[in-house]
Amino acid sequence: MRRTYAYFISLLLILFSSFVQVHAQDTIPIPLKIKVGLEVSGPAIYFSEKNILNAEGYIAADINEKVSAVFGAGYLNYKYSQYNYNYLNKGMFVRTGVDFNLLKPDKSLGKYWAGIGLRYGLSLFTSEVPSFQKENYWGTTSSSITKKTNWGHFVEVSPGVRAEVFKNFSMGWTISLRMLLYTGTGKDLRPIYFPGFGNGGKTVSKGINYFIVWNIPYKKINVIIKKEVPEVIEDTGTTGNGQQATGIRQ
Amino acid sequence: MRKLIPRNLTIILSGLILFLLSCTPESCFEETESFLKATLYLNETGNLRAPDSLTVYGLNMETNKLYDKTKNVQIALLPLNASTANCVYITKINGITDTLEFRYSSYPHLVSKECGYTFYHNLISDSLTYTTNAIDSIYIKKNTITTFNEENIRIFY
Repeated sequence: MRRTYAYFISLLLILFSSFVQVHAQDTIPIPLKIKVGLEVSGPAIYFSEKNILNAEGYIAADINEKVSAVFGAGYLNYKYSQYNYNYLNKGMFVRTGVDFNLLKPDKSLGKYWAGIGLRYGLSLFTSEVPSFQKENYWGTTSSSITKKTNWGHFVEVSPGVRAEVFKNFSMGWTISLRMLLYTGTGKDLRPIYFPGFGNGGKTVSKGINYFIVWNIPYKKINVIIKKEVPEVIEDTGTTGNGQQATGIRQ
Repeated sequence: MRKLIPRNLTIILSGLILFLLSCTPESCFEETESFLKATLYLNETGNLRAPDSLTVYGLNMETNKLYDKTKNVQIALLPLNASTANCVYITKINGITDTLEFRYSSYPHLVSKECGYTFYHNLISDSLTYTTNAIDSIYIKKNTITTFNEENIRIFY
């Protein structure tokens, strides 16, 4: 009887120890962070081309290892002129939404992000056409469109990547595809360019943003990693020397 | 290879290439002229038919004709003057002269960032006046004159 108990207890111990071991191997600590990002391509463009000043940034908080809540804001001062018109637009915008990290936690390690962001954007701006000319059979007609304040809103899908370059500092880029919902200006005088959206003459606008991000870890979580179960291939064929072959594909 | 180009650098450089590619300027391909589109109908049959010859020019602009004894014109494209609230055209359908006066309001319309602005017009329905030498009647089909290919008036001759 004593032998039976000893055998049973030792079996339980073995099972328990192997259970603990499996969990130790299958979890990974991932730091959750608050991220403060600054868009750097806007100021860079402004230094080369003084007509567009776009300054924007965001703050994001990791909800878990996959999802972050994002809030961004920015300012635009846009001047454009070509042979037949001048255009001015100035205003602010906010964007809010979520980022999804598509990398597995054992690949991202809290340092890499490759995923997709979904945003809703709201923009308040003042636009003006100080002068424009139209030439036709009857001659040239010159006119202008007075300053008006409008608001517009849009949705955005922004896939991108980010990588930690120094401790707690990341860099990365996102491609933004935005769909206009409303400009408030009517269909005839759509804004040529407006804050947060870009080219308002089109329903869909695209852009690329380049960010530097300061990461502030606030919590660590243990994420369970689903191990890939080795698939046993049972090969019924025989090898050249007539032996039956079995293999494991990782 | 992985050691030669670190993952971080690859990510940053790929973004830079995309950024440079995104700076390509675009050109204007859209229609920027808003014409009053006048279709020509033979009154006897009521069918769309081009006159043997068509001459059209603006009042006091005889030296600058839009159509000069032109054949096979079924749809005449008539630009309006956005600087004024009316404009007068002289037409010669098969050599017989008529005068048409259009009254309208004009408003600016953005074509695109690349093309800039044009003027759209709204024809005032009751104020269309014309002589009836070759022309029998004129019927307004659509008051709004835009860059789209839409029939605005029908001239029966």
